[in-house]
Amino acid sequence: MASLREIQSRFAAALHGQPDDLLEEIPGDGVDPAGRLQIYGNNARAMFEGALERTYPVLRRRVGDDYFRQLARSYRERHASPSGDLHWVGRGFPTFVAATEADTGYAWLADLAALEWACEVALNAAWVTPLAVESLAAISDESIAGTRLELQPSLACVSSPFPILEVWQANQPDASGDAVDLTRGAQHVLVCCGPGGLGLLAVERDAFEFIRALQEGASLGAAVDNSGLPLDELPGVLGMIFQAGLVTGVASVAMENER
Amino acid sequence: MRERPAVGWIEAHTENYFHDGGPQVRALERARELYPLSLHGVGLGLGSTDELDRSHLARVRRAVDRFAPALVSEHACWGSHGGEHFNDLLPLPYTDEAVRHLSRRIELAQQELGRQILIENLSCYLSFRSSRLTEWEFLGAVVAESGCGLLLDVNNAYVNSVNVGLDARAFVDRLPLGSVQEIHLAGHARRVVGERELLLDDHGSAVSQPVWQLYEHAIRRHGAVPTLIEWDTNIPELSVLVGEAARAQRLMEALHGLAA
Repeated sequence: MASLREIQSRFAAALHGQPDDLLEEIPGDGVDPAGRLQIYGNNARAMFEGALERTYPVLRRRVGDDYFRQLARSYRERHASPSGDLHWVGRGFPTFVAATEADTGYAWLADLAALEWACEVALNAAWVTPLAVESLAAISDESIAGTRLELQPSLACVSSPFPILEVWQANQPDASGDAVDLTRGAQHVLVCCGPGGLGLLAVERDAFEFIRALQEGASLGAAVDNSGLPLDELPGVLGMIFQAGLVTGVASVAMENER
Repeated sequence: MRERPAVGWIEAHTENYFHDGGPQVRALERARELYPLSLHGVGLGLGSTDELDRSHLARVRRAVDRFAPALVSEHACWGSHGGEHFNDLLPLPYTDEAVRHLSRRIELAQQELGRQILIENLSCYLSFRSSRLTEWEFLGAVVAESGCGLLLDVNNAYVNSVNVGLDARAFVDRLPLGSVQEIHLAGHARRVVGERELLLDDHGSAVSQPVWQLYEHAIRRHGAVPTLIEWDTNIPELSVLVGEAARAQRLMEALHGLAA
């Protein structure tokens, strides 16, 4: 008698379309054993594809059901589900789409996928009570350049040479789905999810790079230097991220030295 | 939640609440304030011969600690092989080896969670020639060996009676008394496969009449057990779902004269 491990090995092969080694183990009782196994094969595929469909509804709407299914099946062949939790099965999908669509004229689809993945991550991240901009007042002028800001765990920064937020907005369930002129230029998008729901905001490139540098742990001074954000725009950008509730912690170098 | 339907308790899939936060987690936190909760896992694959996924189990524990459910359950199934997860509830052969393996994994889960868990009988589309035990003998042995309780899915038992020839009434009768601590009811779909019709456990329609009859038989045997209507595809108006729950409650009260 085959061991439990051996039966599961043969069953796994059957789920990949190779049922022969398991067929003699399964009574038919009026139904071809391969037909019985096929139900499980269909279920496993539907579970995987369903998870991708829920994560990437805009991409699916843009490419159509048939091509999305083709993408999902190709992706599954190379990226088997690594977990009993299906939510993260689409983590590698933007990279896969980028490789698939490279040099096809549809490279923007990968950026759209990256934006949708950022939404998925944001929708499942913690929300930390944000600080008011007045929290900067406690920091001396000489310490401000060395100050680091902690940002919301759900914040994601997605940049594209295409107007990717406009595409996303035009393909929400209650939107027209009209084609967006992809020559309209780059968009740099902040994604976050708070008590009011998911928020997506396009910002200028230097502000985007500044915020991304802060997110990566740069001090305010280094983030300004690295992003090229003009100093006269700094107060406005800082005001915006505090106003949006994105800042959850302020730590000056002096504060860090005291710890 | 705004309507606060008159149901005794609610159940959520554990894996949907693994996350750090977000609207879904906040919704369950609010619901948890209004109703007793059961967390029902679909991803541990306790019967898999792959290594037990301890990170998944740790996330189950985190959800259990966070939401403090009254009941925690999983399935008598496997789900992964060679590191690949199929994200489905796959059937086990009913052998002594499978009893030992599943029981050991349930023990590990119960140790990690610090509590007893319930194990649900699967809906099956096939059986194995190597099964030496009936489904009720298999589950009874797992209960005895692991100390788990049972979640009796009455629809699954009925589906199995059609699909693999299970004697559903005998199944219900011979599960260990006192082990059944929760019951599931659901609808199923019909599909012709080859020469025969099989039933698919799709949770997409009203509970069928034969399943109601088997449910009545089950609560005569196992008592006033908390009962959940599973309906997660083709979801109807809330009133329809609540109506199904009320029907189960009326049956329970008619037989046992009390609320469960």
